[in-house]
Amino acid sequence: MKKFIALVMAAAMALSLAACGGTPASTPASTPASEPTSASTPASEPAAPETVSADDIEDNMTSADGTYEIAFITDVGQLKDKSFNQGTYDGVKLYAAANGLSYKYYQPANGDQATDDDRYDAMKAAVEGGAKVVVCAGFMQETALKRAAAEFPEVPFVFIDGYPLTDEEGNTLTNVAAIAFQEEQAGYFAGYAVVKDGFEKLGFSGGGGGTNPACCRFGYGFVQGANAAAAELGKTVDMNFSWEYGASFGASPELQTMMEGWYANGTEIVFACGGSMFQSISAAASANDGYVVGVDVDQASQSDTVVTSAMKGLADAVQWAVAKVYDDTFSEIGGVATSLGVAEHAVGLPTAESSWRFETFTADEYNALYEKVLNGELTIDSDYNNLEQEYSNLNLNII
Amino acid sequence: MTFLIQQTLTYAVPLMIVALAGVFAERSGIINLALEGIMIFGAFIGVLFVNLTQKAGVFAEAKAAGDWVALQGFMVLAMAVAALMGAVFSLLLSFASVNLKADQTIGGTALNLLAPALVLFFIRIIANQNTLQMAEGDSASWFMIKKSFFGYGRGDEMGFFGSTFIDKTYLATYICILLFIILSILLYKTRFGLRLRSCGENPQAADSLGINVYVMRYAGTTISGALAGMGGFVYALTTANCASTGDVAGFGFLALAVMIFGNWKPLNIACSALLFGLFKCIAASYASIDINGDGVFLLADLGVSPHFYRMLPYLITLLVLAFTSKKSRAPKAEGIPYDKSTR
Repeated sequence: MKKFIALVMAAAMALSLAACGGTPASTPASTPASEPTSASTPASEPAAPETVSADDIEDNMTSADGTYEIAFITDVGQLKDKSFNQGTYDGVKLYAAANGLSYKYYQPANGDQATDDDRYDAMKAAVEGGAKVVVCAGFMQETALKRAAAEFPEVPFVFIDGYPLTDEEGNTLTNVAAIAFQEEQAGYFAGYAVVKDGFEKLGFSGGGGGTNPACCRFGYGFVQGANAAAAELGKTVDMNFSWEYGASFGASPELQTMMEGWYANGTEIVFACGGSMFQSISAAASANDGYVVGVDVDQASQSDTVVTSAMKGLADAVQWAVAKVYDDTFSEIGGVATSLGVAEHAVGLPTAESSWRFETFTADEYNALYEKVLNGELTIDSDYNNLEQEYSNLNLNII
Repeated sequence: MTFLIQQTLTYAVPLMIVALAGVFAERSGIINLALEGIMIFGAFIGVLFVNLTQKAGVFAEAKAAGDWVALQGFMVLAMAVAALMGAVFSLLLSFASVNLKADQTIGGTALNLLAPALVLFFIRIIANQNTLQMAEGDSASWFMIKKSFFGYGRGDEMGFFGSTFIDKTYLATYICILLFIILSILLYKTRFGLRLRSCGENPQAADSLGINVYVMRYAGTTISGALAGMGGFVYALTTANCASTGDVAGFGFLALAVMIFGNWKPLNIACSALLFGLFKCIAASYASIDINGDGVFLLADLGVSPHFYRMLPYLITLLVLAFTSKKSRAPKAEGIPYDKSTR
């Protein structure tokens, strides 16, 4: 009998092992995750009259009548990810606080395993909770958003990192404003800057398992920028490029071990392109005297290992879109694709002194590069399907 | 090679110490399925302790002055707190299985369900998110031992031994190994150990010789809880950047498997923990492993799918258990609540 129990236990354990242990590995496939990114001030100075920090505004507010006008539906990953979700929500909070409106965030049930139904339920709850505008973060909301937008045609939705949607008959849903960013530009700046600063062995660790368009654009831009800078300097740089262990955008021991391996083998700086993955990557960098490039928001304050960050102006974009709802000009952006980039000052590197940690790369060089992209002298390819090509001055090692 | 040894130890040590935790409980006659839950709880308590102490600024001066001895003391303190609370948490299991004579498997499962929920509940209250992190810095910059502590510069070589076992290691790893050895001796070479083991084999006989079976079972489970709690924190410290998420990636269950594979014997457990650690390490970093230092990454060059490497640790677990579980010999009286009247 005891033997039998032992056997059953062993089997149960083996099964639970497969189940538990498998999580990090299997989640990638099942859960594409949220995008990297975070909030707070974008590269350019927004037109904010006074500096109110989003961190000083409560995440949870209680309205007098129990309804909430501005609703935010989170992407996978946690709200306070110091990146994509948090950055987007900062925009909601800043706009609401500046205009005395009520706001609330809704986290779809089941966390990283949220289904389209869970997301739809969150959207429905938001609308029923009195939302006058619903901000949805992340391209994974597509299916749920289609359903919700068709069901509540009078409610405007803002689809961050998204694209215009159509209903089942193929009609464009005009109550969905799609806002995307030209991440390849931010990635290009980061790649160019670190190579100019003297780094020769680079790494890219991205979230979403290679299915997240925003991360793909960041990565492809990073490669192009590094290649361009290496060509100017007349040298060849190496880059490890991987989507492994990033599918859920979370930190994991496996990711940390993989990064330890990179750093131990000479990689000097890694672009941590994905929400909480930053934790694992900066931990490995810190242990090996390596460096990190942050993503979405300025992550310099999170670790001394951060040299710079490839930012996109989430908070500003959200405020801009929500304002359109309140001044009755939403029809301008509803149903069309809005892509924000250098032209709108929506992407870039942080230029504040405390975040500028390059040794030789100067702000003047950065501004010159920025200017070139701005006036169209330099265009950056955004089609990330071209990633695997021969680069003149860069060895790309896809892992 | 240095990299492989260091990373293997990082994975193997929490497994080893938690598997030993399982041995102490099972040798006293209590099946401790709750290892995973206690690890989660211990990790949370340890991280919370680090977080609160940092916020209170107790070690801020030591950190600023680079006083690494004080910081190591801070870490040991956090380990002790995690162990203490792990022991307290495990009292729930002992109470249910010894006093209430409840089914131990169900009791352990209940704790496994309780721990993540409880921990996430507290983390949400404390941090308003799903992860509790250090208040400032990262675990490497606060707690890792680096060669600069011993006067070596960035470019200086420490030699193979130094760079493998001293540079970039955590003191926690060695404390666990030391504890592992001491407790193994305690279990096999002392009067207390013999009595404890007798309660897991034939509690009736032990009782007839004047050993209090209930006390012994409480002792075994409490030691087990302390070790598992500490192991949970060590796991969080060395592999999760000192963050608690209500999850230890199944290490508690893996430790149970290691314990069974190790046939409830410390030396075998140490070996099997190293085996699993090695494969976990290979799975995550096969592309960076250069065993003899000739610049050739053999495993990556083989052209085998990365998914195969990722499966390896679990495949090995299944295979090894399938072949060894037949021969495994569990303590005879484990899982059976002791009832004096059946003597």
